[in-house]
Amino acid sequence: MSEKNLLKGNIAIAKAALNCGCSCYFGYPITPQTDIGEYLSLEMQKRNLAYVCAESEIGAINMALGAASSGEKVMTSSSSCAVALMQETLSYASSDELPVVLVNVMRAGPGQGYIFPSQGDYNQATIGGGNGDYKIIVLSPSSVQECIDLTYKSFYLAQKYRNPTILLVDGLLGQMAEPAIINENPYPDVDNSSWRLDGAKNRASRNIHSLEPNQTKLNQHVVKLYQKYQEIEKNEQVWEEYLCDDAEIILTAFGTMARSVKAVCNHFRQLGIKMGVFRPISLYPFPYNRLRELSIKAKCFIDIEMNMGQMLKDVRLGVLSNAHISFIGKPVGDWLKKEEIINAINNIIKEQYASI
Amino acid sequence: MQVYSIPKSIKKDSKFTFCKGCDHGVAIKLIAEIIDELNLKDDTIAVSSSGCSVLLYNFLDVDCLEAPHGRACAVATGIKRAHKARKDDKFVFTYQGDGDFASIGLGESMHSALRGENITAICINNTNYGMTGGQMGPTSTMGQYTTTSPLGRNKEYHGFPIKTAEQIALCDGTQFSARVALYDIKNILRAKKIIKKAFECQKNNKGFSFVEILSSCPTNWKLSPQDSHTKIKDELTKIYPLDIFKDTTND
Repeated sequence: MSEKNLLKGNIAIAKAALNCGCSCYFGYPITPQTDIGEYLSLEMQKRNLAYVCAESEIGAINMALGAASSGEKVMTSSSSCAVALMQETLSYASSDELPVVLVNVMRAGPGQGYIFPSQGDYNQATIGGGNGDYKIIVLSPSSVQECIDLTYKSFYLAQKYRNPTILLVDGLLGQMAEPAIINENPYPDVDNSSWRLDGAKNRASRNIHSLEPNQTKLNQHVVKLYQKYQEIEKNEQVWEEYLCDDAEIILTAFGTMARSVKAVCNHFRQLGIKMGVFRPISLYPFPYNRLRELSIKAKCFIDIEMNMGQMLKDVRLGVLSNAHISFIGKPVGDWLKKEEIINAINNIIKEQYASI
Repeated sequence: MQVYSIPKSIKKDSKFTFCKGCDHGVAIKLIAEIIDELNLKDDTIAVSSSGCSVLLYNFLDVDCLEAPHGRACAVATGIKRAHKARKDDKFVFTYQGDGDFASIGLGESMHSALRGENITAICINNTNYGMTGGQMGPTSTMGQYTTTSPLGRNKEYHGFPIKTAEQIALCDGTQFSARVALYDIKNILRAKKIIKKAFECQKNNKGFSFVEILSSCPTNWKLSPQDSHTKIKDELTKIYPLDIFKDTTND
């Protein structure tokens, strides 16, 4: 299927999962991601693959944990408050080094909130709510095409590093249709024969567990995990930059927000202002390296998010110069419009350049 | 003439680390013997849980995944389904305590039974949370003294215990549900026969099978191993009768 089709983000993710060999899906309904599970229910049953309408998100993520131990490609999907329920098992999957792929199509607000657009789960995904020292790979698409590409990449990185991976999708993008191509999965399959649990035939039995009553061994285990995270940080920082090379003002945004931010950038470029856009695609590992380089030249960073400033702390950590850092955002509802962002930036420029 | 040998499916040189008089050791040995007899060692994936039962993988020489507390049946569902998807069916069983199976994990346990997952769940019922030092659990009996029911379990204050094997038998997806005890040779032999039947239920693709094992906890009951077994025989089997509550394996 190499032609462009009008595709919804959620359906694109489901199709891409099937296309790259996902054989196990476990899920529980929650808006705005339910159509991923609805789509896969028929497609997976037709192919005799594993699909369970789980009793809860806790059930779903634990089925995914079990299935991942077989070495199969495994996915669950959910939203915000229900992803909160999965945090315990994400911690287990990190310690067990099991490649679970979790798609979070975000809702808005703390608690049950509502299904309005928002990007309020940046912290939940990148910092996590589980216990102990662990990290989860987090990828953030900004178009339906990228939903497909990053679904492939999520499965690949999960298998490559034996680490849980979250595809963090704006609710807006999950529910939005635009032309996209279900291209071929560009990534190779990863050999998991050295660790998967498939019966101790002609080999010693294996066990995968996070309990470790020996403190030296537990220390070693966590240190080993962090060596892996260093590898991930070295190899997997991914971002998109737009007109950043000569930029004095750099706008930072992730996910769908970056699309309107680019239009804002074009507006200011036409006025002769040297502006660029920096969009992290891997939220963990955050692309600190490139942001550090850019911060040598740029005088001002403006972080724009549909939340109260969650990625802002990573921007602050990345900017090593004395460049000024501002924030524009709102937590819930209609996406910030181009004009609103332009007005807010004008105010920041007035204040900043008046003081320079 | 050799009259006894350690089952092949017990890890070489392993020494049980359970308390003196605890029945976990007997239960694991029976499971190992059955795995040997049914020739399942190469095809088994066990799921251990939280609490004393987590230690299963230290003794049993099969592939094993540890589940988060209470989630063993969900984890086992995932394992079973994943291997089925790759057309390489495996024998999958959980080994859980009563707190794990019937309190924190009751949702996952019962829904696995309702779905008729073709897995086997073994639940060690010692009427308290053993590893944390003997707190009141879902199966603590009326009047039982524990560290969190210091005046005895009271129906007005604490509510009632669960009869797990009877409840699981009520699920349409359950094909086999039974309760056994290990307080004497006769019961150990009966337990082995029944656990074997539960394993065969899965082997024959019948659906969910469940065995609750009444087990001693001398440390937390503050009784000798012998008195613990007397308590199971004289008191617990009156409350938790030893029986097969559902068996459709011959249907």
